[in-house]
Amino acid sequence: MDTLLAARLAAGDDHALAEVFDRFGQAVYGAALGVTCDAAAAQDVAQDVFVELWSHPDRFDPAAGSLRTYLVVAARHRAVDLVRSELRRIARQLRHSRLAAQPRPETPGEQVVAAEMASLVRAVQLLPAGQRQVVELAYFQGLTYREVALAAGIPEGTAKSRLRLALAKLESVLDRQLLELS
Amino acid sequence: MTGGELDSAALALPAGLRDRVLAASWRARPAGQVVPAIPAITATEAFSRAAHAFHELLCALSDDDWRLPALRDLDVQGLVGHLIGVEDDVQRCLAGDPRVGEADHIESTRAAAVRQAGRRPTGTRAEWHAAVTRTVALASARGNLDALVMLHGMRLPVRSLLVARAFEVWAHDNDIRAAAGLPAAVPDPAVLRLMADLAAELLPGAAVRAGLPRPARVHLVLTGPGGGTWDLLIGDEAGRLPVSIVADVIGFCRLAAGRAAPADLSMDTSGDPGLAAAIVAAVPSLALD
Repeated sequence: MDTLLAARLAAGDDHALAEVFDRFGQAVYGAALGVTCDAAAAQDVAQDVFVELWSHPDRFDPAAGSLRTYLVVAARHRAVDLVRSELRRIARQLRHSRLAAQPRPETPGEQVVAAEMASLVRAVQLLPAGQRQVVELAYFQGLTYREVALAAGIPEGTAKSRLRLALAKLESVLDRQLLELS
Repeated sequence: MTGGELDSAALALPAGLRDRVLAASWRARPAGQVVPAIPAITATEAFSRAAHAFHELLCALSDDDWRLPALRDLDVQGLVGHLIGVEDDVQRCLAGDPRVGEADHIESTRAAAVRQAGRRPTGTRAEWHAAVTRTVALASARGNLDALVMLHGMRLPVRSLLVARAFEVWAHDNDIRAAAGLPAAVPDPAVLRLMADLAAELLPGAAVRAGLPRPARVHLVLTGPGGGTWDLLIGDEAGRLPVSIVADVIGFCRLAAGRAAPADLSMDTSGDPGLAAAIVAAVPSLALD
């Protein structure tokens, strides 16, 4: 079945892609949502995964595993990339906020950024101790998940889930801040 | 960072996600576009490639192979003679001779087939090669390949005639291979794509002539290198039933060449089963033989 679907996709069969989505769309979206915890981001991931399959059906090798597995793994990878990218963005902002806290901002733009970053710093300080600790270890000290887990004396899975929860809270603060500034 | 996959059975897909995903996919790669892409070649080139492959086969045959029964009452040499006769008719057709328009494909070439008996195979091979070379030269010199011509009861553009010739040469190539116990040949994807295009283009007319029970809207998918996707409308617009046919492109072309029966073709169909079977049954009527 998967081999035939792949051959149909390669032949440009638009009905085949619709069939693939109908069979595996929920699994792909579910995998993405499980990582991102965000419906909009999970939809973006699902779209990317199916566009990638349609654009390069020859990258799926039926001999290497099922199409469902291929798509779900692709969704997880993309979702993880998305979350990592978002974490890096927030970490950059947090680092900038620490620097910006020292000299007095000169221009209106710098004042806005400084105000935003000061809020973020406060948001990090308001995180529960466990979440604040893993954020500081991961993004201020640059440790890997495994190193964070060792340093904090917690399982790696717990470190990851604390980071994810912390990220969601920080994002919420960012969004509110942007709304207030706009 | 990894997250657990949520229980997909209990998970409702957001409204509009399916449409959004499909629309984005069509924008990235239009429906019908094959992957990997096949280099486009002209119909003249397709015929030239088929003839080149056939010539290589003839050069590899032993003298005894030329005496093997190949098709109908023809041995291999007689079959090559048939092709010499076809080339003669094609050249008369391209020169505007109306007498070949309604001529029978087999009867018209019988004399050329018969006169090969007793000749040295190299002589037959050289005559066929010279005939093909003339056909290619005539086609190459012709500016407009869209002009309609009439040959052996078929009215079609010159470009389609050349692809039909590639189709026939490939079919007879495999007739000789079967006679000599050699493995079947497969055209390169660029040639195969033009052959599949022609078969798909001619299928609606063939199905109507075969007396299709109902009008149909056919989604034809031919898989494998040289394949593609076609949406064909057959019969009156009113009441067309959707039918989907998925088959291997080589198997489908063998069917269209009359070298396989519908029962031999591994395919998936959906829609009205009787209608799908009737459409597939009409495919071998495309063969000239």
